[in-house]
Amino acid sequence: MTTLNTGRKGEKMLLMGNEAIARGALEAGVNVVTGYPGTPSSEIIDRLSKADRERNLYVEWSVNEKVATEVAAAGSFAGLRSMAVMKMMGVNVASDFLMHLVMTGTRGGLVLVSAEDPGAISSLTEGESRYYSKFLEFPLLEPGGFQEAKDMTKWAFELSEKINNIVMLRTVTRISHGSGNVVLGELPETSPRAHFEFNGTILDEQTGPILTVPGPFAVNLHARQQNKLQAAANLFEDCPFNTYEGPENPELLIITSSVCHLYCIEAVELVDAPDRVGILKLGTTWPLPAKFLKKHMQRTERILIIEEVLPFLEENIQVLACQLGAEFAAKKFHGKGDGTMDKVGELNPTLVAGALSRVLDLAMETVSVDYSENINKQAVDNAPDRMLTFCPGCPHRASFWSIKRVLELNNQQGFVCGDIGCYGMGMLPCGFETVKTVHSMGSGTGLASGFGKLGQFGMDQKVLSVCGDSTFFHTVMPALANAIHHRADITLVVLDNSGTAMTGFQPHPGLTIKASGTELPALDIPSICRAMGAKVQVVNPFDVENAEKVLLKTIEDPDGVKVVVMRQICALSPEKKSKKQFEIQVDENVCIGEECGCNRLCTRVFKCPGLVWDGEKKTSKIDAVLCVGCGVCHSICPSGAIQRKEIA
Amino acid sequence: MESTASNEVVRDVQQNGLCTGCGACVNLCPYFRNHRGKTIRLFECDRTWGRCYAYCPRTEVNLTNLRKKLFQADDLTMELGAFKGLYMTQAGDETVRNAAQHGGTVTALMKLALAEGIIDSAVVAGDNDQQVACPEQVDGPDQVGSYSKSKFILPPTVGKLNEALKGKAEKIGVVAVPCQAQAMAKMRVNPGPSDAGNMSKLKLVVGLFCGWAFDGSKLRELLGKELGNTAITGMDIPPSRHKCMEVSTENGMVCLPMHEIQTCVADGCGYCIDMTCEFSDISVGAARSPEGWDVDKEWNQVIVRSALGQTLMDLARDRGILNFKEVPSGNLEKLQNASMKKKRSCLAYLAEKSGREDDFIFLSSEDPLIRRIRGLE
Ligand SMILES: Cc1cc2nc3c(=O)[nH]c(=O)nc-3n(C[C@H](O)[C@H](O)[C@H](O)COP(=O)(O)OP(=O)(O)OC[C@H]3O[C@@H](n4cnc5c(N)ncnc54)[C@H](O)[C@@H]3O)c2cc1C
Ligand code: SF4
Ligand code: SF4
Ligand code: SF4
Ligand code: SF4
Repeated sequence: MTTLNTGRKGEKMLLMGNEAIARGALEAGVNVVTGYPGTPSSEIIDRLSKADRERNLYVEWSVNEKVATEVAAAGSFAGLRSMAVMKMMGVNVASDFLMHLVMTGTRGGLVLVSAEDPGAISSLTEGESRYYSKFLEFPLLEPGGFQEAKDMTKWAFELSEKINNIVMLRTVTRISHGSGNVVLGELPETSPRAHFEFNGTILDEQTGPILTVPGPFAVNLHARQQNKLQAAANLFEDCPFNTYEGPENPELLIITSSVCHLYCIEAVELVDAPDRVGILKLGTTWPLPAKFLKKHMQRTERILIIEEVLPFLEENIQVLACQLGAEFAAKKFHGKGDGTMDKVGELNPTLVAGALSRVLDLAMETVSVDYSENINKQAVDNAPDRMLTFCPGCPHRASFWSIKRVLELNNQQGFVCGDIGCYGMGMLPCGFETVKTVHSMGSGTGLASGFGKLGQFGMDQKVLSVCGDSTFFHTVMPALANAIHHRADITLVVLDNSGTAMTGFQPHPGLTIKASGTELPALDIPSICRAMGAKVQVVNPFDVENAEKVLLKTIEDPDGVKVVVMRQICALSPEKKSKKQFEIQVDENVCIGEECGCNRLCTRVFKCPGLVWDGEKKTSKIDAVLCVGCGVCHSICPSGAIQRKEIA
Repeated sequence: MESTASNEVVRDVQQNGLCTGCGACVNLCPYFRNHRGKTIRLFECDRTWGRCYAYCPRTEVNLTNLRKKLFQADDLTMELGAFKGLYMTQAGDETVRNAAQHGGTVTALMKLALAEGIIDSAVVAGDNDQQVACPEQVDGPDQVGSYSKSKFILPPTVGKLNEALKGKAEKIGVVAVPCQAQAMAKMRVNPGPSDAGNMSKLKLVVGLFCGWAFDGSKLRELLGKELGNTAITGMDIPPSRHKCMEVSTENGMVCLPMHEIQTCVADGCGYCIDMTCEFSDISVGAARSPEGWDVDKEWNQVIVRSALGQTLMDLARDRGILNFKEVPSGNLEKLQNASMKKKRSCLAYLAEKSGREDDFIFLSSEDPLIRRIRGLE
């Protein structure tokens, strides 16, 4: 079977956008690949990690995005083609280093892949990272399809080496997770020798030490960096990824990029205006190819800019128009500025077609009201009535069960600061609504560190933070150090489910496996916390009684930072999947159901999806398909109706 | 808040400052728990009828009905409830006396009841050095002695009974303060369907007189401030002219001034109508006599209320388990007056809370007993 790392030149493969990017990197002869998991980026590293031996790669899941960028930059400094992959929030984490990196420049081609999520389908914000390219002054490329995702990735390495600076490739969910046919290119034979050269002068980019230094030197480097950007702009003037299709003098010129290009093609068909509308697709969205744009803009009077999410292209094109002279400035611009398009959310062909019909005053065939109402009704009626919840047997449900109970028992209006991760759902009924703040990775513990110092102003609420094991290494450690050093009265609960579960079990420093599956030394979270000066307990959240006892004692200890590691493998983890520990059954003669004394604790409050309420018999029962046999419900049933039998 | 059984307990009792932490709502189901003296509901329960509401001593109750159902009609008095006699006793066994709060009568009676098989299990009160009282269930007469002495932060004793009722014990005796005894009276008279079969296991209630108890967190804070980490071995409040609370510690006796101590009294105690633990078979308090506190603190005053109480008392006399001495004349009247004082102040506080002079929140203004206390009958 043809795979990403064996497919030959000229072969056609059905590839996911992320796979196309991975293949592009392989065709570029990449050697060092790093990343931090995050939807929709994760498959890129995942696929490359499977090619590491055959293609002589070094692939790692780094501890966070800043470190990922640094590790990749080291590869580049030593002359290797390198790539760092992350989702858009990760670019914020990496940005501190990036600001320095763009000044010093790079050697081996260095590409930063930012996978973004317009519509925040699997993210807590839809914030985008394109603005970094303008603000930090480096080139930005946006593939508009699957073939291009591959080809552009390869080209990005070449560009980076031409200008000696990092290049950002921005993809979005619909490219990353969509699939299309891709014609493969050649896989080069690479025989790299890594060496960091530093004997040249400080001003020699290729042979000197790579430093940022304050004062006039920094200004010098800044000027050099801007020259590189100009060089990129010149190259973009006749770049094959910038295309135009449509009439010679279109009545309306659409300027677009990324997946929106596909929406625009479809929308023009939908409103049937191919002879009135032209589509200019930009693959290079920063810096703008001024001459190329000028050529096309002068052939029309009206311009519609289609992009996700913020008006990045639109505003830059308007500034360019002003610079090009009064004639350009006077053109009619449509887009987010005049309200034709929204500045939030994902786009789709219908939305673009709607915009076209408004701008061109065209009738658009819309679906009938009845039809769309019917569709909505069907969707609601046929979908099972289910709340967003943790999986059956999820250790987080058990952990939050104990957290909720001890916060109530303690009776001081305590609360939990959370962050991103499955455990963010602690804010919902499945986490018994214990989580009251959710922000970026690691920020729960930072916030807790702050709350934990407000006793001086009368705050007597108990403060907890939760983080996953992966997040612990990502950004919690500095916050924990801060809390310990300042003697904040908080309890950090590390929900250790042995993997980066939310994004698909990528390994992290707490585990003995690296991206490609080989053994690495694991870092022990309890020992780290102890060494940092916290009091540490390790409990199994499935042992509900003990977990509650330990947690209660811990949060009521007023002395400094306490850490409770609640350790239990995720129910979906590859090791555990389809292995039941217990056979579970509800004895319907013992179950007291809605009676005073239980009132359906298991199905009304605990709510593991593995348990269902039988409204006729008035007892709870196990859904044998969903139950994973964790046995926790057995421990919470007040009447002993839920029986468990250990499976040998 | 929806009007469900448990919401009414939370809203009308707990949030209204009436809860005493008696524990009657605890261990009935997974929802109510007691931690360090405070009763807390962990999760909402949407049942409209529930035992938490039915058993709580601070939800609607008609005391006259309860009294009539549990005692002989001709024993009933307005001031002291059912009354068969007043005694002055102490434990015959000196080691019991020395470990006890006062005369050791309670400890001696519980030991006797266990030894004689009147009960096979007893619920008493233990505590730990953090001043957190916790109820304990014991099965042998020899174990009772280690739980002597008054715990001025209430343990959720009735919660322990709820647990015991589900267990193996067939004949259970409980040492209780008045709110706890009142809860048990409600349970006996009107048990939930799932408890009806078990309730006859509750055989004996030995009551403690009670003026008030402490709010655990307030007292712990005060003691922490005054005594630091010094271990506390006992507490008592001698007759009112001493105006202090005596705290025995590992380093000797410390007196804490009454005005400071009063700030730690539990809110719920102000709304208690019973000083002598009327819903018990036999109830026990401190003695008062012309001989003075140094002698009195070795003795108890005891009210016998029920036939079983009388049997136990007679047995104790026959076996020489208790020493008896004559009750000084005037003591009964003093007790009645003190009891009436608590009843009147309870009604006054409840009226103040409700904002209406004839609305006593959980006590019915139609209850003949309440009408008599108010002088309306
Ligand atoms: C909160 C409180 C307030 C009191 N107020 C008064 C008062 O105002 N006037 C008065 O005359 N007497 C009062 N007493 C009673 C008095 O302190 C003695 O308990 C009583 O005289 C019996 O003495 P004893 O030597 O027989 O007790 P012991 O032989 O020492 O036995 C006491 C028994 O009561 C149990 N017990 C202790 N504390 C509690 C509790 N909080 N709840 C349930 N069981 C408990 C113990 O486990 C033990 O079994 C009060 C008691 C308490 C607990
Ligand atoms: S918790 Fe137990 S008794 Fe209650 S409904 Fe579930 S199985 Fe039945
Ligand atoms: S054993 Fe109980 S808690 Fe665990 S998955 Fe099955 S139903 Fe859910
Ligand atoms: S005692 Fe009954 S009604 Fe009250 S909370 Fe428990 S189950 Fe619900
Ligand atoms: S007074 Fe007793 S029964 Fe009522 S709420 Fe408080 S602990 Fe529960």
